[in-house]
Amino acid sequence: MSSAIPTLSDQDVQLRAGIDRSLRHPVMFFLTSGAAWLAFALVLGVLASAKVHNPDLLGSCGLLSYGRVFPAHLNALVYGWGMQAAFAVILWLMARLSGKECTSAGTILTAGHVWNLGVALGVVGILTGNGTGMPWMEFPAYAWPVLLASYFTIVIGAFIQFRVRPEGRVDIAQWYLLAALIWFPWVFITANTLLHCLSGNPVMAAAINAWYKSALVFLFFTPVALGAAYALVAKVTGRPVASDALAKLGFWSLAIIAPWAGMQRLAGAPVPYFLPYVGAAATVLLFIPVCAAATNLLRTVWACRATCLASPALRFVTAGILALVLLAGAAVVLNLPDSTLPLTQFALSGYGVDMLAVYGFFSLVMFGGAYYIVPRVTGREWLSRRLIVAHFLFSVYGMLTIFGVAVIGGLEQGLSQEDWQQPWQHAAASAQPYAVANTFAWCLILFANVFFLLHLTLMWLRLGRHSVLPLLLASARGSGAQDAAAATEPSLTNISP
Amino acid sequence: MSLRTFILGLCASFGAAWLAIIVIPFFKMRDLAPVALVPATDAAAGAAGVFFPKRSGRVADGARVYAENGCYLCHTQMVRPTYAGNDLYRPDWGGLKADADRGDTRRETNAYDFIGENFAQLGVTRTGPDLSNVGRRVEALDAAGEDPAAWLYGHLFNPRDNPQLWQSTCPPHPFLFERREIKGSPSADALKVDAGANHEWVPDSDAKALVSYLLSLKKDQPLPAALNFAPKKSEGAP
Repeated sequence: MSSAIPTLSDQDVQLRAGIDRSLRHPVMFFLTSGAAWLAFALVLGVLASAKVHNPDLLGSCGLLSYGRVFPAHLNALVYGWGMQAAFAVILWLMARLSGKECTSAGTILTAGHVWNLGVALGVVGILTGNGTGMPWMEFPAYAWPVLLASYFTIVIGAFIQFRVRPEGRVDIAQWYLLAALIWFPWVFITANTLLHCLSGNPVMAAAINAWYKSALVFLFFTPVALGAAYALVAKVTGRPVASDALAKLGFWSLAIIAPWAGMQRLAGAPVPYFLPYVGAAATVLLFIPVCAAATNLLRTVWACRATCLASPALRFVTAGILALVLLAGAAVVLNLPDSTLPLTQFALSGYGVDMLAVYGFFSLVMFGGAYYIVPRVTGREWLSRRLIVAHFLFSVYGMLTIFGVAVIGGLEQGLSQEDWQQPWQHAAASAQPYAVANTFAWCLILFANVFFLLHLTLMWLRLGRHSVLPLLLASARGSGAQDAAAATEPSLTNISP
Repeated sequence: MSLRTFILGLCASFGAAWLAIIVIPFFKMRDLAPVALVPATDAAAGAAGVFFPKRSGRVADGARVYAENGCYLCHTQMVRPTYAGNDLYRPDWGGLKADADRGDTRRETNAYDFIGENFAQLGVTRTGPDLSNVGRRVEALDAAGEDPAAWLYGHLFNPRDNPQLWQSTCPPHPFLFERREIKGSPSADALKVDAGANHEWVPDSDAKALVSYLLSLKKDQPLPAALNFAPKKSEGAP
């Protein structure tokens, strides 16, 4: 499970070029349609957030009422952007790490269109007032079998590639990606069957929904992003990960702890008492896998600091890992039963922490993946250093604002909610300034992604630069940067005949 | 490590949690048994027979409208026990602090409170107040002496039309109402808002279901001792 990069032989170069060529269309399809959903979700997010402090904005239209725009925003973000970005990165990394070309690009593309159809049906369903009212599962019940079937069709090839790979090549990144590929359908089928197909106790249904949300974040988005981070860090720095033992610890502690998390949202609800406590304990304990993986990755990156500054991919991945550390820290601080959990259970924190996970951590790592992968599969280099830097900075500013709102605003709102001697309006008013701050943060993130979309569209139209040298964000100076330029794997499609 | 060992490891680590916190609790809680009343302790709850509350109104239909329009995003339906929050102390959340007939009726949420619904809308954030007892609250306090349904229709149409709620950030829902010409006598449900000459705003079917559901939210009935975790209230209360 070492991540050592083998020396480039002609055969390797040919193989990689072949893999990149075989995956050009699937990867670009998932990234561009995902980015389009991201833009859609962000516009809805700004609108929904503005409605929190300005409720009469576009209020007379049912299609655009807060109660429909907000779930449409979340679901488009999770299933439209998040899942599709994950598909793109998983397909490419699994093929590259297994050293096998993709032989089913047509099938994957077809299934990808079906996935987008499912998401579109779901989002239209929510906006026209047919949502299910289950957080993160608001798509009408007809959407999930469509999504599940296309999911299996999309990822089955990645599994087969792993099975038939040449012996002796198992990377920690492959562990994470494989595990995510197994956990997602298990979690997705469990939650959807129990909530849509079987009738159960309504409170237990809410508990399962809370678990589903947490499991989607910690058993799909987290392992995909960590796997991508391990692979990209190794590829860009050209070094093996700092510690194999730490990598194993991080993986297995995530596998053991994360499935128990999530039900702390139900603290005080009439479900068996151990469920919320187990959920809170597991969520707090997630600090262990996060620390192990983050320490390992950051140590590897630290050894080549100049590369980190120069490579767009590594810069995004490093920021994503730091966001994961913030996320795990927030999970510890905000989920302590008998102290902070009663304050944050129904405060802005829940949404803020979710967004820190989905955007701050997962999406930033996926952007890093996109900046690394797209030049390789299209055979063109990114056009503009400035577009990348603007995308990076505005994303980070937006995320830090959301994080601040989640922690400080959430706790303040919680304190005033718990102050029962004051009229309710007191608690409602205390959240208002933070709602305005959230809108500001979403505007920053939307602005950031305008740059990304523009850049990605140009690449998709094959208008990228013809160059054998990757675009670096800092000019090469000092030995570290030379190291970086040498280690950064060039866009192989350009070298191949 | 072979793929087989790896997958077995994943199945073991995930499967343990999956069974313990999802599958087993789901099937254990699937059919809530009625609670048998004990005459010695349950005089208030009816003394004999079983406790298995019934709800009147368009509960399933209204819960659907509640879900479709995202009410759960800002309103909770969970009055937490005191170890998990201070909800019970609020004068009109867990019941009424001073009900005309029964005195202090406040209590925490229990598993029988969601009978008739598929999914308990415990809520995501509390931007607005808890709705566990909104039916009780509107009848006894907000619309005291008036028609509670009319109060709720007005609130749904535009919460800020009510001068007492001018600071509310609840979104308006005019799309659940229909503006129509008055033919004959005006509708009994018509809103008290200006709809133009010879016109009126009346609730549509979804609004009626939603209001019926909201009025069914009265989760403060007396509980059998087996379910009642509230500290003993002052002696003399029924």
